[in-house]
Amino acid sequence: MKYVPVQWNTNKWYYDAALLLGVALFLVVFIYIAPGVLSHERPINAPIHNARAFGACAFLMLTVILCIGPAARLDRRFLPLLYNRRHFGVMTCAVALTHAFYVLNWYFAFSPTNKFAAVLSSNTSFTQLAGFPFEALGVFALLCLLILATTSHDFWLKFLTAPVWKSLHYLIYPAYAAVVGHVAFGVLQDQGNLSFAWITGIGATLVAALHVAAALKERLAGDPLGAGADWIGIAPTTQMTEGYAKIARLPNGERVAVYLNQGKLSAISNACAHQNGPLGEGKVLDCLVTCPWHGFQYNVTNGQSPAPFTEKVPTYRVRVENGTVMVHRQANPPGTYVEPVPLNTGAMG
Amino acid sequence: MTFAETLVWIAQLWLTAGAVVAALFLLIGMDRIDEDARGAYVFRPLLVPAVLLIWPLVLWRWAVLETGRDNWAARHRPPRRQHLVFALGMAALIAFSLIAGLSVRQTWPAHIAPERLGQTDGVEN
Repeated sequence: MKYVPVQWNTNKWYYDAALLLGVALFLVVFIYIAPGVLSHERPINAPIHNARAFGACAFLMLTVILCIGPAARLDRRFLPLLYNRRHFGVMTCAVALTHAFYVLNWYFAFSPTNKFAAVLSSNTSFTQLAGFPFEALGVFALLCLLILATTSHDFWLKFLTAPVWKSLHYLIYPAYAAVVGHVAFGVLQDQGNLSFAWITGIGATLVAALHVAAALKERLAGDPLGAGADWIGIAPTTQMTEGYAKIARLPNGERVAVYLNQGKLSAISNACAHQNGPLGEGKVLDCLVTCPWHGFQYNVTNGQSPAPFTEKVPTYRVRVENGTVMVHRQANPPGTYVEPVPLNTGAMG
Repeated sequence: MTFAETLVWIAQLWLTAGAVVAALFLLIGMDRIDEDARGAYVFRPLLVPAVLLIWPLVLWRWAVLETGRDNWAARHRPPRRQHLVFALGMAALIAFSLIAGLSVRQTWPAHIAPERLGQTDGVEN
């Protein structure tokens, strides 16, 4: 399907409208309603106030974004929040950029030194914790956010491939840690008010705890590793449920989703061609499985999206042997048709 | 030239090279390696900022696709196994940042009343 700037639909409009409203509400509350609570009782000028407002907003947005992924892995009820997280990320980057704009044009603007050089040279106490140059942490985090936001278009996932794109987007983890450091060695050094310390501590701890919990869950109770040489055992036939899949890891690291559709077995890659969402967690209707992340659909017999879409995923050969569903470890090229195999058979499929 | 100025100069060079790559890739290369991009032009300006930032990666992938060395199976293998490593690493860095940041936080001596600085040597401080 031809690329477009943004694939809008009604749900995305609602999602983005809610995001914009939330950002506007936060800024209004921060700037006009709660300056006393947030230690702004001392007179500060508008650029500083705006820098703090946008900085705090970016931190909060990033915290929420980073909670969505693991929360959805731990509990499927959070999946709707995952739906348009990309727009959330791009908006966060824009808010963080605005924060940087206000900082640059106030703290580093009134000298002959280049503004950007001034940010990098104004504090170089890298060898000590007290007075650590938190600006550098902010610059690093902003650079990461820029890379993530600018490579968020679907084109980049397809062009770079999932392993490269995902590896690049792992930058969000060091970026968030850098943001926490930026806040901890920056605004939290303010001796007047502990509100930010509590907000930062609770938010960052929640992000860390959710990520560790979700990763441990996947490691301990995640998709089982299939056993076998060429033909890999996935699950006993008795465990197959009509309309749903069993997901298993293959020895080469791929994940396969084996569906029972109208009494017959079909297997496709578990990774959606769009953003590698878990296809095996989707339900099959009329031979089509729907990705739980963004709604992309694939025919489970050939791995192809219905026209006019052109996305394809690899398929696998399936057979039933001694009451066990098995797939061949070698994936077929994306879009290859494989004849579905009746569940109640012990012969080769 | 100071170290900071050198970094800024390198960044400018990086972005300039990125602009050249962006022009070549978006006007010529993209149509050659992605059939979904043929005839689709409106979305291309959106890609410019990314090319400016990651242009070496763009050149590498462009070369891989042009020479037919792309491994189609690899794009269906998201690196999920690294989740735990990154989660634990991030949690450790967060804990360190919070503890270290709060431990060096200085407390204002409450028993000393603030004092407005007066005029000295004819200069208002």
